[in-house]
Amino acid sequence: MTILEMMERAGTTETSLSIAWIKDAIHLIQSNSKERLKVSKYDVINAVDSDDNRYLLPADMIALDSVSIKDTSDSKYKKIRRLTSQPGYMVEDTSP
Amino acid sequence: MSSYVDREWFYYLKGRNIHLYKLLGGSSSERITQSGVIKTLDRELMYPNEDIANGLRIEYTALNEPFVSEALETTTVVASGITISFNDDGDSASGYNDLYDTGDGLADFTTGDKIRVQGSASNDGDYTLTADAGGARYIQVGTGNFTDEAAGERVTITQIPAEDSSPDETSHPNLNRMLSLACVDYLKAQIADKRGDLQLKEYYMREFWKKVGDNESNKRKISMTYPANPYAVR
Repeated sequence: MTILEMMERAGTTETSLSIAWIKDAIHLIQSNSKERLKVSKYDVINAVDSDDNRYLLPADMIALDSVSIKDTSDSKYKKIRRLTSQPGYMVEDTSP
Repeated sequence: MSSYVDREWFYYLKGRNIHLYKLLGGSSSERITQSGVIKTLDRELMYPNEDIANGLRIEYTALNEPFVSEALETTTVVASGITISFNDDGDSASGYNDLYDTGDGLADFTTGDKIRVQGSASNDGDYTLTADAGGARYIQVGTGNFTDEAAGERVTITQIPAEDSSPDETSHPNLNRMLSLACVDYLKAQIADKRGDLQLKEYYMREFWKKVGDNESNKRKISMTYPANPYAVR
């Protein structure tokens, strides 16, 4: 269905505004259902100080679906579990 | 080496960051030394202690490629077989990478189509066709994309929507027809909102969510059967 056809069905002639609203609608759809998924991969780094275990979530992310880590023993990505609270005490392995 | 990552790695979400942790007493480190001294508590965590190239994979929804140049329903071309080979700067035309099918199954692809290659040994990925001059025998993508690969693997080539980065009235939303109709309801809701008609806006937003819900439930068909009562009127 073209944007023109959608505009005609909705009874509007404002193209730019319609495109912006359609983007908003797609954003809402992506926020509530997993219509189209995207994948980002990052290198896991050997943590040598207290912020080396932090990775930025993708800037264009709307909703998180899953987080996986590569199991190097069989080169497969496996989903990992989410901690519901941040560990209070943790051993910082500075010389693994 | 990371192993048992599904049991020994964890993440924690904080603001716009994802924090990674792994079990200190996991399979990659010993909990108890040979002299019997306990090195770690049962659930003690530590920061990742190894480098893993492309080790963290995040799957998420995004506003990526919201508009496409062709309606989703018409991007249906698929070719599959063990007769497909890849040529880096092949002999059909200099400066192009070719995808050959001696089974002549590539007739329906046209210039500008975006394709996804799966099943090949070293050429899996998404490509845009720059020519289909060979008819059913070969299609071409820009130079530098393919590596030489002989036929033999079961390769599947699927047409996928090509993004329209500067959308206009002829573009299509990257959605199926049901969700496109939902977007029409969303447009009507916003137009009603602009006019100040909040009741109408609420009506169309309900219609929008109803269609989004229908689209989801269409993927999960559940049939229910009930045993018939012996005295039931049939």
